[in-house]
Amino acid sequence: MREKQIDKLKDYKYGFTTDIENIRAPKGLNKEVIEFISKAKKEPKWMLDWRMKAFERLKNLKEPNWQKPKYPKIDYQDIYYYSAPKSASETPKSIDELDPKLLETYKKLGIPLQEQQRLNGIAVDAVFDSVSVATTFKDKLNEVGVIFCSISEAIQKHPEIVKKYLGSVIPLTDHYFATLNSAVFTDGSFVYIPPGVKCPMELSTYFRINASQTGQFERTLIIADKGSYVSYLEGCTAPMRDENQLHAANVELVALDNAEIKYSTVQNWYPGDENGKGGIYNFVTKRGLCKGTNSKISWTQVETGSAITWKYPSCVLQGDNSIGEFYSIAITNNYQKADTGTKMIHLGKNTKSKIISKGISAGFSDMTYRGLVDISSKAKNSRNYTQCDSLLMGNKCGAHTVPYIKNKNPESNIAHEATTSKISEEQLHYCQQRGLNPEEAVGLIVNGFCKEVLQQLPMEFAVEAQKLVGISLEGSVG
Amino acid sequence: MEEQLKIDFEKLLENSNFSKKNAEIKRKNFDNFIEKGFPNRREENWKFSDLNQIISKNIKNLSFYNDLSKPNKIDQSIYIDGLEHNKIVFVNGRIEKIEFDYEEKNKIEILDDLVLEKSNNTTNSLLFLNNAFVSKYFKLIIKKNYSLQKPLVIYNITNKDLVSKNINLKVDIFLEENSSLKLIEFSNDKSTTNFININYNFNVQKNSILKNYKIDNNSNSNIKYCFNNISQDANSVSEIFLLSSGSEFIKNEINCNLNGKYSSAFVNGVFILNETKHHEIKTNINHIVENTKSYQLIKGVLEDTSKAVYQGKIFVDSKAQKTDGYQLSKAILLNDNTEFNAKPELEIYADDVKCSHGSASGSLNEDSIFYLMSRGLNYKEAKKLLINGFLLDVVEKITDSEIKNLIKNIMSLKQ
Amino acid sequence: MLKIKNLKADIESKSILNNFNLEIKPGEVHAIMGPNGSGKSTLSNILSGKKGYDVSGEILFENKNLFELETEERAHKGIFLAFQYPLEIPGVNTNIFLKTSLNAIRKARGEKELDAIEFLKLVKLKAKELKFDEEKLNRQLNVGFSGGEKKKNEILQMSILNPKLSILDETDSGLDIDALKIVADGVNSLRKKDNSFLIITHYQRLLDYIKPDYVHVLMNGHIIKSGGPELALELENKGYENFN
Repeated sequence: MREKQIDKLKDYKYGFTTDIENIRAPKGLNKEVIEFISKAKKEPKWMLDWRMKAFERLKNLKEPNWQKPKYPKIDYQDIYYYSAPKSASETPKSIDELDPKLLETYKKLGIPLQEQQRLNGIAVDAVFDSVSVATTFKDKLNEVGVIFCSISEAIQKHPEIVKKYLGSVIPLTDHYFATLNSAVFTDGSFVYIPPGVKCPMELSTYFRINASQTGQFERTLIIADKGSYVSYLEGCTAPMRDENQLHAANVELVALDNAEIKYSTVQNWYPGDENGKGGIYNFVTKRGLCKGTNSKISWTQVETGSAITWKYPSCVLQGDNSIGEFYSIAITNNYQKADTGTKMIHLGKNTKSKIISKGISAGFSDMTYRGLVDISSKAKNSRNYTQCDSLLMGNKCGAHTVPYIKNKNPESNIAHEATTSKISEEQLHYCQQRGLNPEEAVGLIVNGFCKEVLQQLPMEFAVEAQKLVGISLEGSVG
Repeated sequence: MEEQLKIDFEKLLENSNFSKKNAEIKRKNFDNFIEKGFPNRREENWKFSDLNQIISKNIKNLSFYNDLSKPNKIDQSIYIDGLEHNKIVFVNGRIEKIEFDYEEKNKIEILDDLVLEKSNNTTNSLLFLNNAFVSKYFKLIIKKNYSLQKPLVIYNITNKDLVSKNINLKVDIFLEENSSLKLIEFSNDKSTTNFININYNFNVQKNSILKNYKIDNNSNSNIKYCFNNISQDANSVSEIFLLSSGSEFIKNEINCNLNGKYSSAFVNGVFILNETKHHEIKTNINHIVENTKSYQLIKGVLEDTSKAVYQGKIFVDSKAQKTDGYQLSKAILLNDNTEFNAKPELEIYADDVKCSHGSASGSLNEDSIFYLMSRGLNYKEAKKLLINGFLLDVVEKITDSEIKNLIKNIMSLKQ
Repeated sequence: MLKIKNLKADIESKSILNNFNLEIKPGEVHAIMGPNGSGKSTLSNILSGKKGYDVSGEILFENKNLFELETEERAHKGIFLAFQYPLEIPGVNTNIFLKTSLNAIRKARGEKELDAIEFLKLVKLKAKELKFDEEKLNRQLNVGFSGGEKKKNEILQMSILNPKLSILDETDSGLDIDALKIVADGVNSLRKKDNSFLIITHYQRLLDYIKPDYVHVLMNGHIIKSGGPELALELENKGYENFN
């Protein structure tokens, strides 16, 4: 039994911590801490004012409570809102100047940052605790005019673009966690693709929470100007700790006329141990605005980590003929809980959306798909197709499907389908008879179940995601 | 409104001779209602239909006390023609007739002045309101091994004397083992802007069959809520059909607990709405034990600025292996300002189950219209034929052929 | 190779097999014939390790107690079951499934796992031998396959996994004559001195193409008569009813 447990812990291979000296803001949420963050980031005054406005609004907001997973009350005064590796406080000029321990950490994560080892054709921005530590391939991207840097850098170097779009998709006071993020966000990625440019490589950010008792509040802003295209990937990991850590990110996407953004996430924050102790609270707000005509935003997510996942990557389809897509795999095991899905808000004419959601629950976990499809009376000739399938493994876990479907337009059509099933004894027996052990068999069948979503991921991520699907369900077959 | 409620409640207690205990329970329910008030859209259950708003928009000076001392005349012309049936007739909330001419008298028992035994274990404020203000509370018991020869029709009639009143009705129906009942609820309203609040409790014992057809077809300006609680034992069957069409607003809520193995529940319904009508069907089917089955099919045709809502939930307990649960909702929107909202929900804690739901809404298929027109129909006829077929599909699920034909006639559906 | 002694199997306290005995030596082909409900499929299920049966008695495979082995360990040791009703597994590519299986078995036997190129070469070869449409191998496992294609796919898997003992559970049912010949050719090409077969069937038809060494008649849960190929013909003439 004990041995098995140790084996299990090994399953979360990203569970190490790195011993790095940190600079931290004092614990707690107050004006001084926000000023500290803003100062540490060398922000202009307008940015500090913006944060303060959010902080003021936050006082009047309550944490939402309609979601299925309930969590113990969070003491917002007991969290560090800013933690930075000491060595990064003087911004390194190049990656060679980075703390070797940091480089080592990213190597362990399988993300080599050093130029000579860099991943083929993927530009990486690495965010460690509260700060962006390195962005690769900057020069090459510069040549075509793509801006890919940390949001802190963008605030300093490209204030006009940031000012124009920050908070334009997720308003300052959208809801409690989004507003909290607006007040205290520390870092994250910024992407701007100029008109007509097809970004020559995949852009990627790796988020890592390292320090204890620290919340991570990153902010990502991606703007695809007219006729441009970008594919962006994010990955997330954290050490194993007994405490619950809060991660409340905001991600805003804006696609102008004829632009397309493809946003993929492989979320593997520490899920807590077998008994549900520890793990990340992943309360994330992600929203894309298809602002221009013929624009397209596509979200793909593989959610396997976190103690509680609570996110709804959404699309506001404002431009005529715009398209929103959401492809999701969410897996919960042990005592994990997830309440995830999407919102497709159809405002423009001829807008189309597609939702494919695959939920898998095992152990004592609980999974909810929650989604909204809203076709307004002006969104003539719009279409939505939704398919959400759940797979249960055992009868100690739960699967919940809560779609909200609103149609106010007679020329538009909405179709929704959902099923719940299990892996049949016969399927397992068949695979075992061909020599696969039960866990391999389950991995294979589950990957088949998720195929439509896995296909959406860029190649490099797809392989990682497939393995993750298998690993996440280990110990759930019996 | 709170002032009016208090005055009317005291008036009710004064003019009725409730036992001390009953009055106490009523007061408790009354206090609960005062505390919660009419539900509004902040409650998940009322998200798509804000009753508080609907009542204040449609009813001026709503009052809650209803003098039931004088009998009302029954307008017999509204009786269902061409169907032999037993009758219970309510007029303006007062029971005027109980007639079981077709049945063995000792097989049916009616208790007509029941006392609330204890306050319900509920958070539903409209049940509080009902318990507080209902003056008589009925219970119908069908004895063991007895199947009613003819259907029972409960007429719920309101006449033009009734204006801006709240009417509360509460009826328990108990089907003992191996019995069966076909129940048609038929409403006819000539009254204006009342709030009618009905609570049915069905207890369907082992091997029994309940068929319940709710017909709301005549156009009226009343606001209605009907809560149906059904609890089912082993091998029992319940079949519900809803024709949701006439009232300005009606929400039919069905809470069905499948407590016995091999019990099954069927809920079929159609919305046919025009003008500013706003109707909702809300179901909660709870699969508590193994080998239970539920099937729901809801269709709507919406015209003008009408709105329909279907919230259907299937819950499967971890003990309820081998559950078979299905729900499908479809709507056709005929005008620019119509709206269809659906929330088909699954909550499942057992792995060996078969559950699915589907929902679709949109316009009539133009290709089909074109096809029919190419065969010589004009646009209007083609449209009518397609809608006819769309709705017929639900009506065909009715298992009693006599009642099926009756409902087809009422809906003027062609075969 | 396979020794079954006094096998008894119940399902939900209903007796399916009792006092069942059978021995198969390397290189032999045995056929078991029996009417519906005689316990034929139970036998193949138990040999492959399907759960849900109460069993007693003894099954030795190469002197190893089968009851101690999981389903996949039996597959690693070389037991292959061609299913009566091959399962559909949505989303799982047939080629990937086969490669995963083959490498799981090779790994368990201490053999080198095949890389994608080596594997595809092997599959191409075998598919050609069995006249199996290669394009189908890129589809989801058995999804949308006709009954005959599913059965041929089983034989293809058999020839790729190269088992020691192949159990064919009514592989002939639902096959037309052409498909039956292809299946039979596949089996015959695998007949070697070390490979054994257990063919479970209703009809004598398949045995026209695959000549068995022994035929056993299974009724009421045990073998009531054993003999050479001529027994199958006798059975076909008399019918099961008059056979007792």
